Amino acid sequence: MNQADVSKLVSKLRIKVPPKHRKLSSPQGPEGRLNKLRKTVTGLIKYERIELNYRRADEARQYAERLISEAISHGDCHKPTMEIADYWLLEKQLVHKLFKVLVPRYENCNTAFTKMYKAPQAYYGRHIDKAVLELRGNPYPTLTNKQSNNRLLLQNVLLDAAKYDYRQAKYAEMAEKLGKTEEVKSGQSNEDRNKPSN
Amino acid sequence: MKQRALSLSKTLLLSHNSKGLPAIRCLSTQEALERRHHLFVLEKKRQLEKVGRIEKIEVNYKGIPNDCTLVMNKDISTPYDCARHLGEWHMESSALALLDGSVHWDMHRPLTENCTLELQRFNIAEPQQVNKAFWRTCSLLLGACATVAFKDTVPVHLHSFPGPDIRSGSFIYDVDLPSLPDWKPTPQELHTLSAEYIQLTRKQLPIERLDVSMELALEMFVDNQHKAKQIPSIAKATGKVTLYKVDKYVDISKGPLISNTGQIGRVAVTSVHKLTGSSESDLKQLYRFQGVALPTGVILNHFAFTILTERAKKLNHARSPINPFSESMSAEESIAARA
Repeated sequence: MNQADVSKLVSKLRIKVPPKHRKLSSPQGPEGRLNKLRKTVTGLIKYERIELNYRRADEARQYAERLISEAISHGDCHKPTMEIADYWLLEKQLVHKLFKVLVPRYENCNTAFTKMYKAPQAYYGRHIDKAVLELRGNPYPTLTNKQSNNRLLLQNVLLDAAKYDYRQAKYAEMAEKLGKTEEVKSGQSNEDRNKPSN
Repeated sequence: MKQRALSLSKTLLLSHNSKGLPAIRCLSTQEALERRHHLFVLEKKRQLEKVGRIEKIEVNYKGIPNDCTLVMNKDISTPYDCARHLGEWHMESSALALLDGSVHWDMHRPLTENCTLELQRFNIAEPQQVNKAFWRTCSLLLGACATVAFKDTVPVHLHSFPGPDIRSGSFIYDVDLPSLPDWKPTPQELHTLSAEYIQLTRKQLPIERLDVSMELALEMFVDNQHKAKQIPSIAKATGKVTLYKVDKYVDISKGPLISNTGQIGRVAVTSVHKLTGSSESDLKQLYRFQGVALPTGVILNHFAFTILTERAKKLNHARSPINPFSESMSAEESIAARA
């Protein structure tokens, strides 16, 4: 029991990492796969939002997350981290972006650093799952228009009013019940009071 | 039909007295609709021709995708035309225009001067005015459904609808059905009314606006005694009456309304209640049609929507036009003016 919990020693990613990697078939074998992913990770760090095939996006996302989390935990004076950054970022000016822009951005972040959406498919043609992969806190407008928490939206106004109505009805019911029990009680106490006099 | 309506209106214009009225009062609902629609179209054409030499105005658009300046035609171009320059998404989703950050303007109302323009959708951060316009439009269309839904043997005289109150849970139209003294709609009949409503929304009709003089409004609504009675009080302030047209149906409303009937998504006509008049009012009873609707694109769980429909079945306690509990005389005028 004195053994350290291994999961606490290794930095943990905040995305789901599947037990097996995807092969992403390539004529150069595993090296070709890594080259593909390096390109994608570089593109993601450079453009901050990219649209691509779902399989490759999901695979590249894991490497990008790992890269950023390493950069945050070790900083730019750590040689192995620098080597990793040098390997994954094909354009070397992006190494500066990683340590000077992205690390400060995500230092206090308690969610994953990237976000992935399923993108719509082409109406006809080959059926391939598409995805949009983006860094959080990018300067572009948001992709989703989710404002369902806005209390002023018509549906929320209607539901609020319905809730209010329901509560009022319940309160009225409770008050009625209370009144009845009190009546009964007071009636009983009146009887009690009356009894001795009789 | 057009010929007949024309001749009718001509005789009216010539005579200008109450002798011509009884003949028009006998028009069936359908014929009255056609006549009103025809007069509306004529007046709109006349107003367009009156513009004369076309002048240009500059409209500064603010919003998605980027701020830009559009050069439009004065008194002809509408915010909807601006939206057509911007894209299909703007045309379909914008419900109301906001001029100079303060004035809410109908999408189909011509612009009169240089201004800044914002297009408002249902899911903006502060949608109160859009919601009100939506609710008002729903009321107006409910009137259209009520006129169309009944057989020719049942005369339908629309009365009015009160100002939009969303928290009350239902939109209203008060209708006078003189030949049905004691009508309780079956669920089947309510379904039919709802179906009529849905058909109207599926047609995706633009909602046109027109300001007309009091005389013309009186002539258009000569077959409807209630509306004819309300028109002078509505026109008291400006001398103008604002009319809206959906398909062939024309009604009075203060506005603004939303751009298109296609923007009304899920809808249900939930109940019809009988309102009894007070002893001094000359109208003994009215029917209050109630319904509930959501904009297109709003996804609401069916259970939640059932709660809303159940609530909309209860009588809406908006002030009754024939039995105002507080004031006696001014109420009818104020309600009509507010609608």
